[in-house]
Amino acid sequence: MIALEEAAYRYPGAAAWALGPISLELRPGEVVGVRGANESGKSTLCLVASGLAPAAVGGELRGRVEVDGRATSELRPHELARRCGLLFDNPAVQLTGLHRTVYDEVAFGPCNLGMPVPVVHARVRSALDVLAIGHLAERHPQRLSGGESQLVALAGLLALGPAYLALDEPTSRLDAERSALVADAIARVAETGVGVLVAEHDEALLARLCVRVVDL
Amino acid sequence: MRRLRSSPHRRTALNPVTKLAWAAAGTALALAWGGWVAAAIVVLAALAALRAGRLRRVAVAALALAPVAVSSLVINTLLPAGGGGLAGALAALLRLLGATLPPTVLFATTEVDDLLGELEARGLGRRATLVVGTALAAVPRTQARAAGVIEAQRARGLDTEGSWWRRLRGVQPLVAPLVIGSLAEVEERALALEARAFGAPGRRTLLRRLPDSRVQRAARWAIAAAAVIGLAVRAALAVAAR
Repeated sequence: MIALEEAAYRYPGAAAWALGPISLELRPGEVVGVRGANESGKSTLCLVASGLAPAAVGGELRGRVEVDGRATSELRPHELARRCGLLFDNPAVQLTGLHRTVYDEVAFGPCNLGMPVPVVHARVRSALDVLAIGHLAERHPQRLSGGESQLVALAGLLALGPAYLALDEPTSRLDAERSALVADAIARVAETGVGVLVAEHDEALLARLCVRVVDL
Repeated sequence: MRRLRSSPHRRTALNPVTKLAWAAAGTALALAWGGWVAAAIVVLAALAALRAGRLRRVAVAALALAPVAVSSLVINTLLPAGGGGLAGALAALLRLLGATLPPTVLFATTEVDDLLGELEARGLGRRATLVVGTALAAVPRTQARAAGVIEAQRARGLDTEGSWWRRLRGVQPLVAPLVIGSLAEVEERALALEARAFGAPGRRTLLRRLPDSRVQRAARWAIAAAAVIGLAVRAALAVAAR
């Protein structure tokens, strides 16, 4: 379970608190929504829940944030990546740009962890299958549509085998049709037991996917 | 799942590191020697491109040198300070072609991720690999971003077509969003890499190794030795000539 207990966070050098204090729980297999106006702290909440703030971003965290009983402040970024994946709203940023196939792009994370080759292949296939994008495996990552890119970015996180995902406005750059594709994928991911935190403006998507929605 | 691999390197069957060694040596020797050495390197590069079926692509890339060639011609034939004449201009162009064609052929016949993978397998660190790869990917990425900015500025009424003066005036509103956007993206990219365990300790897994052979390894050493000897001889001749 990801648990935020009176968590508040401010970025390095900032006087104002960007988030909180907020308490929140995310259990395996459930989808929890986060909504709020622009600048209300949705993206910051995703960073804090995934542990990358402050582990990679720096800044000050008050209160307590735990992933499966371990305080995120005790974990290094690569250890956090195996526990909770963070998806940005812009897939172009999330994709490395270093690979010529979607397959290799998805394999990037497991390869970073030094996993044995058969394990990497198994994880990549599993991630592509869960998101139903196996047909994209040999496509060039830079020649995908926005929705496809977002799904590939999500597959790249899933391949790391996280128990949780924090998705920062995953459909904000997509049209309705492609948003529906991503929403379907999120539902499938949750069915595999992954807990998903979704920060979104799209009320219909939140209503469709989430067991509860937190207002910021 | 079937892994389809269609890669230009298959056409040459040379390991990317062998091609890199050749390209680096060719560039260095062409710059140092010019003349017949540069001419030989140009011919070798053209033959390599022909064999790989990339001659047209390399020739198009070489056209980028046209402005430099024209400048060299003007400086050497028309300006008193140049003084090399037509022969000097051609010599300068030959040296330039000799220096630029080998890396052009390398990248026209090699996928960047193949090259980086092979370098990483030989001990190049993951951060160095990322820096090199990101630098090589920066051009198409910047082009794509610029296209987006141009579209956005056009939608706001900016005239980017017509006379050269109008196009020139259109550059200013393009540059600021391009630079600022690129800088802002750097931080997000760094975070995205952390989210994908890029900072994990130890060696990365390499999904594939490309064919290499004892002959190619020997060839790389020979190329390196030839380059070192060639540069040393050139330096000694230059010192002796003083």
